[in-house]
Amino acid sequence: MSPPGPAPRPAASRAAAPAVGADRPDAVAGKRAGRRSGPGGTTIWSRLALAAVLVWTLLPIYWFLRISLLTPDEIARYPPPLHPLEPTPAAFFNIFGFDHVLADGTVRRGSGQANQIIRGLANSAIVSAVVTLVTLLVVLPLAYAFARLDFPHKNKLLFAILLAVALPPVSTLIPFYAMYVRLGLAGTLTGLVIVTLTITIPFVTWMLIGYFRNLPEVERLARIDGFSRLETFFRIIVPLGRSGVAAAAVIAFLFAWNEYTYALMLVNGTTANTLPTAISGFLFQHPEPSHLAASLALTIVPPALVAFFLQRHVADMNLVDPVR
Amino acid sequence: MNAARRTAELSNLGFSLLLALPVLLFLVLVVAYPLGHALWMSFHEIVFFGGYRATFVGFENFADVLTDRKFGKSLWITVRFTLESVVLAMLAGLLIALVLNRPWRLGGLVRTVVILPWCISLYGTGIMFSYLAKGQTGIGTAIAYAFGVEEAVNFVNRRWVIEVLAIGNAWNMAPLVAFFLLANLKTIPRRLYDLAAIDRMSRFGTFLNVTLPPLRFTLFVFTCITTVLSMKLFDFIFVLSGGGPGTASATLTYRIYKESFKDLDLGAGAAMSFMLLALILGTTLLLYVFWGRRAARTA
Repeated sequence: MSPPGPAPRPAASRAAAPAVGADRPDAVAGKRAGRRSGPGGTTIWSRLALAAVLVWTLLPIYWFLRISLLTPDEIARYPPPLHPLEPTPAAFFNIFGFDHVLADGTVRRGSGQANQIIRGLANSAIVSAVVTLVTLLVVLPLAYAFARLDFPHKNKLLFAILLAVALPPVSTLIPFYAMYVRLGLAGTLTGLVIVTLTITIPFVTWMLIGYFRNLPEVERLARIDGFSRLETFFRIIVPLGRSGVAAAAVIAFLFAWNEYTYALMLVNGTTANTLPTAISGFLFQHPEPSHLAASLALTIVPPALVAFFLQRHVADMNLVDPVR
Repeated sequence: MNAARRTAELSNLGFSLLLALPVLLFLVLVVAYPLGHALWMSFHEIVFFGGYRATFVGFENFADVLTDRKFGKSLWITVRFTLESVVLAMLAGLLIALVLNRPWRLGGLVRTVVILPWCISLYGTGIMFSYLAKGQTGIGTAIAYAFGVEEAVNFVNRRWVIEVLAIGNAWNMAPLVAFFLLANLKTIPRRLYDLAAIDRMSRFGTFLNVTLPPLRFTLFVFTCITTVLSMKLFDFIFVLSGGGPGTASATLTYRIYKESFKDLDLGAGAAMSFMLLALILGTTLLLYVFWGRRAARTA
């Protein structure tokens, strides 16, 4: 409203304001300006907001994972205890089939589903690794082509990729199942890898298109220096965009590691069981909360390990305007 | 000159084809084929008992679904769940972004913790929130007893189950929203905040006039993304509530699952799938027409 004017004037009004009345808007504004608010400061309110964000984030994780440390007595207790009274790691041994002797001499028996868990862990690791590798091999050139080259029907093809992102997995379950039974792929890791690729490829392509667009235009320089197109891509673009490539790899890995719907329908109850479906055995057949919590904690380990990397690089992915 | 350009373009096309063709072939085989099969199923009545038979019935499956009152109810549940999820995820995402934009000590650690929910699987989130919200195991009961109210507090009931689902879903999606909004926030020049302070703009006014405008297009895009993700969500709902209690949380995805896998009415399931797909694409299109075009112009 008023022109900025010389510097002393806001300062003067700031000093005078509290005397007039603390609830007047300019007084409040003055007080805040004095505390150097804006995005730079940390006031009591921003501390409270941080606390709220941390509680919102951690409470559901804490509430469930604490069950893995509870004794059977504590699990049976009602109301549920707010924290483990005698924390015990027994469940983490049990899910791998080992007995665990508590301090008072009672033995917590290994889980009968340990084989499922171990096999699920191995299968999940295999599927996730293969999916990540294939996704990168396929998506890097594809996203690059979309980002940097012009070719006919480009926007239509881009739309097809986005459509694949929007497709609900439940809609294609039956066709996949029918196709897999005919091809002998039902209940195999190969089948699960293929179907998981239909999730990772469109999504990661979309992410990387925007990322490649933001890289400096070095192709012409590389061409002048005598690089061929393929060399330019593999020796200049990929190394230049390595943080984006790594983020893409991590995200593809997470998608594959966390995939549940297809695994439930296509490999559940077979030797190609993945960790999520093995866990759902605890959920529906034989409820043992501490084993369920311990095995779920297992599935959170890889995400927790990549979280530090992701928080630095996830926003490099340009989800917002891949086409502009 | 002209000839040189044409060869350049030709090799551009050739190079793109070389890079993209295998992938597009894969997408056609693995995405278009199942979709085509689903389309075929939606026009047939498929019977398993007494030998597999598929009879062409035209639009009968679609008509059956549309006249089924359960479908209308599921549609409403999906819309309500999506609306609540999106609003919550965007608000939580915005709050998280504003908090992360401050210079915290151990900022890397804070951000690592905050992104964790997005890294956790949806079935895992479902299991966590079912234990958090159910009366027997939930935090509500524990807190009620701690304060001397001896009563189970169960949120997974007919009245509140959708809200529980929406909160869990928003919990999972909010970090992604937050990190992209944060990237935008970082590009706002500090000078603008100084100018706002000189203008004695209120805290809310500063937020409205300085912070919010550059975020508009990102907010639009993530409203679309969270809408699509919420509408197609299945495993989380399957694990948390199984469509229940009763059918109180039977979204369209859950009903498609039930029609196809439990009632073995593949035609109806497929017909419903296409209606869901139409809903997803239609909503995104509407968002674009009424919001996205404007946001894109001002961004």
